[in-house]
Amino acid sequence: MNINKSKQFNFLLFIVLFAILVRFYYLQIYQYKKYDYQAGLNSIRKINQNAPRGIIYDRLGLPLVDNRPIYDIALIPFDITSDFNYKIISKELSISVEKIKNIVKKNKTSFNRFRPQILKRHVNFQTRSKLEEFKLELPGVFFKEFPARMYPNSARLTHVLGYLRTIKDYSPENELNYKVGDVYGFSGIERVYEQSLRGRDGTKYHLIDIYGIDHGINEKNPGFPSIPGKALNLTINSELQSFIEGLFNEKIGSVICMNPLNGEVLAYLSSPDYDLNSFVGPVPIEIWDSWNQDKNRPLLNRVIQGLYPPGSTMKIIGAALALEDNIVDPYWEIKCNGEYKFGDRIFHCWNENGHNNVNMKKAIKESCNVYFYHLMQKLSFKDWAEMAIDFGFGSKTNLDLYGEKKGLIPNREYMNKKYGKYGWAKGNLLTFIIGQGDILVTPLQVVQMMNLIAGGGFSFEPKLNVKNSSKKIEVSLRSQTLDFLEDSLWEVVNGTNGTGSLANVEGGKVYGKTGTAQNPHGEDHSWFAGYIEINKQTLVTLAVLVEHGGNGSVEAASISNKIFNFIVKNDL
Amino acid sequence: MIYNNLLGKAFYSKGHWSLRWRLIFPVLILLLISCLTLKYSNLDVEFLKSTFFKQLVWIVFGILIFIIVQRLRLQVFNEYAYHLYIILLLLLLLTYFMPSIGGASRWVMVGGFAFQPSEVGKLLIIFTLARFISDYKGKINDAILLYCALLIIFFPSILIFNQPDFGTAIVYVFVVFPMLYWGGVKPFYIFSVVAPLISIITAFDLTIFSIWMLVLCLLIYFENPKILIATISLIMNVICGISSPFIWNQILFPHQRERLLTLLNPMRDPHGSGYQIIQSMTAIGSGGFWGKGLGEGTQTQLRYLPVRDTDFIISVIGEELGLVGIFIILCLFYIIFYWLISYAYVISNKFFSISLIGFCSVIFIHLIINLGMVVGLLPVTGLPVPFISYGGSFLLTSIIIVALVNNIIEQRI
Repeated sequence: MNINKSKQFNFLLFIVLFAILVRFYYLQIYQYKKYDYQAGLNSIRKINQNAPRGIIYDRLGLPLVDNRPIYDIALIPFDITSDFNYKIISKELSISVEKIKNIVKKNKTSFNRFRPQILKRHVNFQTRSKLEEFKLELPGVFFKEFPARMYPNSARLTHVLGYLRTIKDYSPENELNYKVGDVYGFSGIERVYEQSLRGRDGTKYHLIDIYGIDHGINEKNPGFPSIPGKALNLTINSELQSFIEGLFNEKIGSVICMNPLNGEVLAYLSSPDYDLNSFVGPVPIEIWDSWNQDKNRPLLNRVIQGLYPPGSTMKIIGAALALEDNIVDPYWEIKCNGEYKFGDRIFHCWNENGHNNVNMKKAIKESCNVYFYHLMQKLSFKDWAEMAIDFGFGSKTNLDLYGEKKGLIPNREYMNKKYGKYGWAKGNLLTFIIGQGDILVTPLQVVQMMNLIAGGGFSFEPKLNVKNSSKKIEVSLRSQTLDFLEDSLWEVVNGTNGTGSLANVEGGKVYGKTGTAQNPHGEDHSWFAGYIEINKQTLVTLAVLVEHGGNGSVEAASISNKIFNFIVKNDL
Repeated sequence: MIYNNLLGKAFYSKGHWSLRWRLIFPVLILLLISCLTLKYSNLDVEFLKSTFFKQLVWIVFGILIFIIVQRLRLQVFNEYAYHLYIILLLLLLLTYFMPSIGGASRWVMVGGFAFQPSEVGKLLIIFTLARFISDYKGKINDAILLYCALLIIFFPSILIFNQPDFGTAIVYVFVVFPMLYWGGVKPFYIFSVVAPLISIITAFDLTIFSIWMLVLCLLIYFENPKILIATISLIMNVICGISSPFIWNQILFPHQRERLLTLLNPMRDPHGSGYQIIQSMTAIGSGGFWGKGLGEGTQTQLRYLPVRDTDFIISVIGEELGLVGIFIILCLFYIIFYWLISYAYVISNKFFSISLIGFCSVIFIHLIINLGMVVGLLPVTGLPVPFISYGGSFLLTSIIIVALVNNIIEQRI
């Protein structure tokens, strides 16, 4: 035979085999990444490991919010045998037997027969343990853990802690990589410190075969463990908090206790509140509606969102301005006979009989309106508003919670805008100086005013997280002015005829100012703002507001008394 | 008497034989690779039921047959080639009267034992063609020789095509051309037969068809045949091109159409017919250079890869042994082809020389069609890989081929 032909055959075979080899090279080297990725898509299933959320403690290290698992119940259709006890699972989950049978029937012979089908979500531990008892009669049923919050402390602290929600569908603004079904802090501290509380979910890579059967962890790339959320220590004293919550049964209002020397919030109450345990799993729409429609507005965080006229507590601003600018001296006296005529209007003092001769200290102590009406004639509106703003009114206190309101300190522009240039007169100003009219403040702003006085002109922005370094704030007043104000506040509680005498306790020096704020909704709001000093060491400021509680010298002052008593007794 | 006579003709009464190691050795390595691959891709199957075990049994059986073949007096295939051809046709006809398995009637059942005539027929058709070519080359016109050879393969291949077994029919058709070329038929004649097939395929796209026609005209021009033959060639090609849609619609089975369409675009139906190709390419591609290691291929072990034991066993090797494994296999096959062609060149007996080229072609066609399939270049035809795929019949055929070659060289015909 021809040698050339054998060479031709050899050459042809070589070329074809080489071409095949090139094709393999193309697939295995050039396109390796693509196919390796595709092989991964085929066979590797990512299993999410929920990171436990950070636990929230109070300042004493007692847990306020902890984790507990709740469960999703699922079944694998393939594993369901004829012995399957439909009755028990139907009873425990209140799903009809037919429905479960349908789920099984539909999937048992399909390609998905090995894939878990979720029967019910957010089942509690009790239901799970009941079903576990019947495990042998329920082949193919298993539980998927899902993290939920629990509240082990007697202090509810509802509005501070806030609650979680579940991501229902993917939204583009969700930049933190949440997946559908993840929980996230929707309000309160849970929201503010979401990033550190959340931790990082871990991932396990499992190998899944073509039927969906799990072949265990992929050893080459097992994934990474979850990183638990960081614990959070609040400045709250849960014992004090719990005590204060007890005082507010049925009452509507708010209480804040703070340490003015570092801005730590010791107690924080907004009443009424709601039950955080309702947020395990999705909140039933009826409960949500009932909260929303409740006229007492339990969802309102009164401490930072409730806007109230401050009443007589606001007189401190006028007094501070008059002294600081030397407009009057402390011994300047007026005569109060119970009313004050201004133009054709008559403004009343709360005491119809009048306070007779009144100087500044007495005016604060006995909360004489007429004195302040006279004083307002000497003050400039602009300076007064600036002084109020210096004390922190009309702007946020920067507490670490979302949704804080600024309140309102009226000024000339505001009045012109609201009433027209000639629609208001100096008469309006008379109401401002006694904390009525257009002024709106939050209870937290009132306690901040007390912080500044108690701290000798200095204090710190309020904070709930111990680790926060809060900003120093100050009000630029001369020490004589501050001393005078402090003396006056002491007189309110300790002097004869002082309006705050009910707040007095033994074992500490109590300072304060009462307020009785008229409002269009009904009975007056009852205010008491003040502080207690125990042995020059402990200093706790507080503001108590009872909505429609009537006279501040009664309702709010007596609640403050109980709180101060608790502080003294428990040596906080 | 006749029986004794036949035996006397078929076997040597005595004799000793030896092995051509340079040919046998690569084959043994391929069988070893086959067994290893099967061992690691048999998932959750009892040992005795696993294809790994069955493959071992087939190999032992193959060795026995190898030894028997060494005792054969091979001239008997030359002498009785046409008889064997008739027997082949009868057996193929017989398959039509047998119950079909999986929609195809490829088997003849003899007492619970299924036997596939088209398998052993691959050898018989080679002998028949070799006999015919060696007998008539030089005695009749090349063109007549060519068309007679085509007639010889026409009957068995049409029977096989209708079984239906497209892949095997392809083997029958394509084995004839290298044999004719080796036998001395002018390349132009062979080309003029192959050209219409190309015309049919290229007719799917007008541009490609036009280019092909241009190339055809140039080739005819340079070959410079008689005007009549040139004209006939050209007209035949055009007719084939025009009849292409008819072939597509009327002659091909729906599943064959589907496979061809899938080849053009595997993503056309990723869960249906494209599934196998995609999974195969994924398995191979993800193997990379060194492979994932035997038993470590995720696509294989997690059953994403279909028909791992037979048609797609190369994909398993591609995934688990990587480009290195594929390279080694291709080298081993090249060594086998190299020796087959060398022997064909060395042997003086024309019948055996042409037969050797036939054997070489059968193995080569199987290899290329299978490799082309698993890498997504050729349609899914279901042809196994010689020596590597699990599957008794073709493994035996392949071993018999090696045995015959060994015997032919041994006898120094």
